[in-house]
Amino acid sequence: MAFAMLSLEQPIRDDLVAGLRRDWVRLAEPGATWTGMQRISLAAHARAARSGVSLTEDALSATAAEAAAVLGARPASVRVGDVQKWTEAGLDPQSYVELIGVVSRTSAADSILRGLGAEPEPFPAPVDGSPSGEVASDARYRRAWVPMVGGTSIVSALSLVPSEMNAMFDFHGPAYLTMEQMADPVFTRGLDRAQMELVAARTSALNECFY
Amino acid sequence: MVSHLEMLSSSVHALGHTVDLLAVTDRNVDPRLHGGIELLNFVDAVLGGSASEISVARSALRSALGWEATVDAAGVIGNFEMMNRIADATGMPVGKGRRRTSADMIDRLGLARFDHVAED
Repeated sequence: MAFAMLSLEQPIRDDLVAGLRRDWVRLAEPGATWTGMQRISLAAHARAARSGVSLTEDALSATAAEAAAVLGARPASVRVGDVQKWTEAGLDPQSYVELIGVVSRTSAADSILRGLGAEPEPFPAPVDGSPSGEVASDARYRRAWVPMVGGTSIVSALSLVPSEMNAMFDFHGPAYLTMEQMADPVFTRGLDRAQMELVAARTSALNECFY
Repeated sequence: MVSHLEMLSSSVHALGHTVDLLAVTDRNVDPRLHGGIELLNFVDAVLGGSASEISVARSALRSALGWEATVDAAGVIGNFEMMNRIADATGMPVGKGRRRTSADMIDRLGLARFDHVAED
């Protein structure tokens, strides 16, 4: 079973393990625009780039491999010109948004395991099948670099691809807080809310993320 | 970062604690939050340290706040590894209203240098 984490000093809470396992199941399955094999390749390129390694394999276009590697290792370096360049090279907005979802969550899982002293989780075997093609037809370009449904907001950032938006929320709750818990400034689990926000802010500072 | 510095300020106020926000960008500053130094050391190790440095930081955090808190800290780091990538890759702007209300904090912490998607 994925995320057995047998090397850990003590068990970790069930909802966090369940969230990680759920995401690994999703990673292996066909998405809206990428096959399961391609999704795993995106994650693999991002993981390798974080270790300073470049992968050479042909499950992805060179453009997709580059975007996954850049977003995996140097997210703060991404500029609108990069997104335009990748789009002009054939990476359509829905494929780019799904790539963001896959790379961002697998980067997150890797960091959680690294923090807890576990080895990186091996990637799952891909599930056969074709991408669903499901995208939000009412998404529009507004103030950000990708189309979104409704206003320009971090909670709708991946809304062009509903399955990726749902996956983001499914990860966000157990790793940090649900949207309902976020409304509570005194929410406490192992850390109180202020301690959580100190960790969030420092992580964002090291990642040079202004938002 | 701006969003979570605001949330840090709000939660500290609601909890009756104190914090020096400058500690988020300047490691010479004590955050003045219980376990704050151990939490910051853990974040720094996970994002940029070796396995042994992470182990040392994790042990110190566990001694200071316990295992459950250490797991929470790892989860929050992971979540913001995700959210930072989403914000940066989608060009998520910080709105003009938030820039105004957070202007003093942005200036004091020198955050403008991280602003890759400033709107006109």
